[in-house]
Amino acid sequence: MHPFAKHLVNRTLVAVATLLIAFNISYLLLRAIPASAVDTMLASIAQLGQRLDPEDYMRMRQTLMELFGLTGSPMDQYIAYLKRFFSLDFGPSFMAFPTPARDIVARFLPWTVGLLLVTTVVSWIAGNMLGVFVSFVRNKRLSRILENTAIVLYPIPYYVLSLALIYIFAFLIPIFSLSPVSVPLIRIASISDVVNVVVYFIRAASLPAISIIIISAFGWWFLSSRTLSISTITEDYVVFAKLRGVDIGRLRGKYVLRSVMVPQVTALALALGTIFSGALVTEYIFAYPGLGSLLYQSIIIGDYPIALSILSLSIMGVIISMWILDTVVYYVLDPRIRYAR
Amino acid sequence: MPVNIKAVSTSISSVLRALLKYTRFRIGLAIVVIMVAMSLASLASPPAYKRWYSYPRDRPPRFSLEAIDLLLGTTTNGRPVIYITINALANSLIIGVVTALIGSHIGLLVGLLSGVSKGYKESATVLLIDSFVSIPGLPLLIVLAMSLKDIITIHTLPLILSVIAWAWPARNVRSITLSIMSREIINLARFSGIRFTGIVLHEVLPYVLGWHLTNFINTIIWAIGMETALAIFGLSILSEDTLGTMIYWALNYNALFRGLWWWMLPPVVVIISIFVGLYLISSSIAMYLNPRLRGYAQ
Repeated sequence: MHPFAKHLVNRTLVAVATLLIAFNISYLLLRAIPASAVDTMLASIAQLGQRLDPEDYMRMRQTLMELFGLTGSPMDQYIAYLKRFFSLDFGPSFMAFPTPARDIVARFLPWTVGLLLVTTVVSWIAGNMLGVFVSFVRNKRLSRILENTAIVLYPIPYYVLSLALIYIFAFLIPIFSLSPVSVPLIRIASISDVVNVVVYFIRAASLPAISIIIISAFGWWFLSSRTLSISTITEDYVVFAKLRGVDIGRLRGKYVLRSVMVPQVTALALALGTIFSGALVTEYIFAYPGLGSLLYQSIIIGDYPIALSILSLSIMGVIISMWILDTVVYYVLDPRIRYAR
Repeated sequence: MPVNIKAVSTSISSVLRALLKYTRFRIGLAIVVIMVAMSLASLASPPAYKRWYSYPRDRPPRFSLEAIDLLLGTTTNGRPVIYITINALANSLIIGVVTALIGSHIGLLVGLLSGVSKGYKESATVLLIDSFVSIPGLPLLIVLAMSLKDIITIHTLPLILSVIAWAWPARNVRSITLSIMSREIINLARFSGIRFTGIVLHEVLPYVLGWHLTNFINTIIWAIGMETALAIFGLSILSEDTLGTMIYWALNYNALFRGLWWWMLPPVVVIISIFVGLYLISSSIAMYLNPRLRGYAQ
């Protein structure tokens, strides 16, 4: 067999096994939650003032349990869920019965992906450019200032920064509103609808986006690319190229930036793989409608179909990005890995 | 091989002396020492500080030396902010250090085992590590904290945090171990007749331990941050004072928008300074261990 095909099969098998184990762990943990969606539903019926006999109550509870697939032995339930996992259909949501969980997740998905895709890519580019730039102009005042800002900004816990942003930009200078954003049903019939949706999105997403970009561009991406490029600059081949009189722009682009990019692209791919679990703290603090807050809601209520579909989506995101890195990117881009096998 | 205590102590003191040359290490150490001193001072706090309404409510800070209790004002529940802060700091530090002691060492052990083993043992450990890496951390913690709500205390919360904390370090330790195992020194040691455990202990472990030290400190930061994130959702130990629950209660009583800045500011300032201090220490250790970065330290 061709070595690449062998490698591909090998990695795919490992990825599928990892997927199954991760799904099983999250399934087991979710079933341990004390919250019961059925009891929450019955309580809301009782709140409406409906008078129910205890027998009727128990019969209703039984019907709901059967409807949701919560009866039968744990093994039967497990097998039923495993079937649903492979068909990617987790059945009706509990809290918005009978809407399928998949539809609800699909409604929140563009919000999260839109926000996190943009912020991850923007902060990756900004942080890397700044980091590489600072390592070239070291010992200058500007680079010192940037570095010290990053060292103080990076360890600041995210929610503290976002609370400060809310306090400043929604309370002291009310540019953004404090009220929670509800998900509008995106129905696009005319151009004004498109404009409305875009304006709505920008208004809701800019404050969370700013908070994410500040922390991750100035923090992790900046510091890591700075460390990487400083250790590349002191590498023998770069010193030799400098002595040989290689043009400074070429030296920076081809000699330093390129080798810094290999680990940074890896980290970007892994970061993009994690966006499907949403940004829980961001969404919670900014009241932003996204997969993270939906997941939190469903865990609190005990809505397994939604929780499991988001969890398996995000597990798949991470595993698929690791798989692509392991097979396509490393094997095609990095010749050392190709020949080592 | 008997451990030469004298040699160990001289090498530790020489490393410390080299680290103290870095400005950032000195600043970080000073911050952490101040924070530890403050948390030790929490032992002197009067038991009455825990009771509600044992002091007047919503008092702004008053700077007089006679009434230390009111130095940072009081909360809406009539509790002195200064005692809450130092107790919260002590509890958060305990949570961070215990999590780092448990989680980062599990990571070290699993990563080492995965790096040096072959065949099905290797595949099994890789599968275990990768599946924990791919599950999103905070939702998993929320599930665990919800289902174990009744038994969460200062001493069991670190156990729950460790369930997540070990996976990334294990992955990193594994890749470091793999790169060391492919070096020539390992073959040389093997051909010289050193046994497998000897190779792992004397050839591989010293390289990993440097990285492990920085990871240990970073895990303290991570655990304190995670406890605070859990507290924001109201899932931490709400009956005890930690930095997270202090922020939670302050937000819950709308301290930010009612102008009670003396309730909101202390936990935020303490959290930022402990994070910056620990981060400065861990990054200067990383700098000391990576000779290429050394010239750029000051």
